Amino acid sequence: MPDMSAIANPQQRQFNPYAENGGTILAVAGADFTVIAGDTRQSEGYSIQTRYASKVFRLTDRAVLAVNGFAADGNMFVKKVKQRLEWYRHNHAKDMPLRSIARLIQTMLYAQRFFPYYVYNILGGIEEDGTGAVYSFDPVGSYEREACRAAGAAQSLLQPFLDNQIYFKNQTAARGYSHPAHLPLPDVLSIVIDSFTSATERHIEVGDGLEMYIVMAKGQTLPDAVTNLLPEELPSTGDGERVFVLKRDLKKD
Amino acid sequence: MFLTRSEYDRGVNTFSPEGRLFQVEYAIEAIKLGSTTVGIRTPEGVVLGVEKRVQSPLLEASSIEKIMEIDTHLGCAMSGLTADARTMVDHARVTSQNHAFTFDERIKVESVTQAVCDLALRFGESVHDEDAMMSRPFGVALLIGGVDELGPQLYHTDPSGTFVRYDAKAIGSGSEAAQSELQDKWHSQMTLREAQVLVLRVLKQVMEEKLDQHNVQLAQVTTDKGFHILDERALKEVIDTM
Amino acid sequence: MSIMDHNGGSVVAMAGKDCVAIASDLRLGAGAMTVAMNFEKIFPVTDRIYLGLTGLATDITTLRDRFRYLVNMFTIKESRSIEPSTFAHLVSSTLYSRRFGPYFTEPVLAGLERTPSGGFKPYIAGADLIGCLNFAEDFIVAGTASDKLFGVAEGLWEPDLGPEDLFETISQTLLNSVDRDAYSGWGAIVYIITPEKVITRTLKGRMD
Repeated sequence: MPDMSAIANPQQRQFNPYAENGGTILAVAGADFTVIAGDTRQSEGYSIQTRYASKVFRLTDRAVLAVNGFAADGNMFVKKVKQRLEWYRHNHAKDMPLRSIARLIQTMLYAQRFFPYYVYNILGGIEEDGTGAVYSFDPVGSYEREACRAAGAAQSLLQPFLDNQIYFKNQTAARGYSHPAHLPLPDVLSIVIDSFTSATERHIEVGDGLEMYIVMAKGQTLPDAVTNLLPEELPSTGDGERVFVLKRDLKKD
Repeated sequence: MFLTRSEYDRGVNTFSPEGRLFQVEYAIEAIKLGSTTVGIRTPEGVVLGVEKRVQSPLLEASSIEKIMEIDTHLGCAMSGLTADARTMVDHARVTSQNHAFTFDERIKVESVTQAVCDLALRFGESVHDEDAMMSRPFGVALLIGGVDELGPQLYHTDPSGTFVRYDAKAIGSGSEAAQSELQDKWHSQMTLREAQVLVLRVLKQVMEEKLDQHNVQLAQVTTDKGFHILDERALKEVIDTM
Repeated sequence: MSIMDHNGGSVVAMAGKDCVAIASDLRLGAGAMTVAMNFEKIFPVTDRIYLGLTGLATDITTLRDRFRYLVNMFTIKESRSIEPSTFAHLVSSTLYSRRFGPYFTEPVLAGLERTPSGGFKPYIAGADLIGCLNFAEDFIVAGTASDKLFGVAEGLWEPDLGPEDLFETISQTLLNSVDRDAYSGWGAIVYIITPEKVITRTLKGRMD
């Protein structure tokens, strides 16, 4: 007698097109620079797929994009953004400005409104007026410009810490003093490194390595305190903005 | 040229043995029958001027529309088959709005000009799977004036889809005389008012009728105020200072 | 939404040099609706032990009374006041006695433990809802803002803070964490326990 149960009972099968690959990204805007950072652990469930997978990508001389969530979607999205940037360069004979990249990302994300890229994006860089800028996105394209933002697995651990350390939330300045609107680069880098060390300590999906991209506005040089950390400078197309990369190890346990 | 008509006159996208597309060349000729249109670029902005041929006293002069807004920072003046220009301006407007929507910035003058010219050669038999295209070339030339991050610019487009940037350009029936006058009088540090007056002077020279605020139209695109068509009162004011 | 999150609220405890601190928010909610802004979650157990309870409000109240009864019985029977480590195990066994029908609460306790030499040693501990104890050297967090508290505390806390520095650290940790948590906030209360005295301070923070 053949097994009839498969025919007799309703069967349901499902394919889940998404995965969550952990990790965390973070960006802080200064007056004339922006730092965009991400850890390099890529995981699925309790398994580590790789200890070195970049989540932060340089787009132009003055724009860096960090992507977090479903790694396959993230990589494909970055690829498509880069393709659109190249088309734009051909059509308009210039690099796309940061705010335009932000808007482009919104339209690209919203175009997938009913089958979204499962990705949180943070775009950092230098605006046309020479100021540091951070744009953060949700997976379907809602975005805003901010001074700092954390996203990903450890967002909830890092964002209140940044509120406190970057925005000076819940801190009252001494009489006659006020909090700075923007922190200097060495301070920002310390906060970023501390943030990731903390997240690594308390979140299993964060760790292994840290990549920090620093975008400097036109005419700005790295402070000595940062040069001493020996950042790698990425080749740029002109004498405008400059992009540096700083790498650090994070705990691997 | 008109004496050597041949079968190559018929196909809109068939080259003659000498390597010419007659229909495109005829379209360019058609513009030389159009009313005179002048554009001048200055450091402050671009001035566009057209002659309106008011053929009858019963014709409502204000209904002749030969200068159109493409976007707040872009304008265009035309000469030739003005009906064709509507298609082109429509395309330019959509392109400009789309650019603003997608990139949160004003489109460059050159980019919008390129977009319009991309349209110019989409005539002929439609290929499999393609939307039906236009059956003939556009019979109109445009002067596209605008302001972007590179400053005020003036572009000329013709039915072949070629576009060139000019400091000052005249098109239409009186263009030859007008162009040589522009070459004489244009200088790089013109004020906007000087340019307005020069446009009117040039038009006055080539017009058959006596120039007044009813038979010319003036528009400008400036860095701070963008595109703007001068109303009859403002126009009369300029005419009076000529 | 978990029953643990229904009423909202968060607690954090930190160890310092010869002192401990414990702090909580003051919100009581029913889901997204705020019901009260004066709901205390930290209770004195002895004059050197404070117990913080997060989770379901009714269980917080019940356990507070239950532990008062149990500690009173201990004090009478033993003719001595209970030590933090002993109390931690009392908490643990009480919660585990309801292993299959638990109180929906995660306790945090902070106290000063008497040492054989007669001094005092900072003692903090936490437990899950069925009484699994967690003895941390640095800090304990619980409640709807626990993940935020982990992040901020990990960034701000350092060893051997004196009472005033510890107060600043725990206050900043709590305030910034609850500001990013919709279910916690509406004011805060901080207890600093030193061998000499207990300092109680109520904090305003952003009331929204």
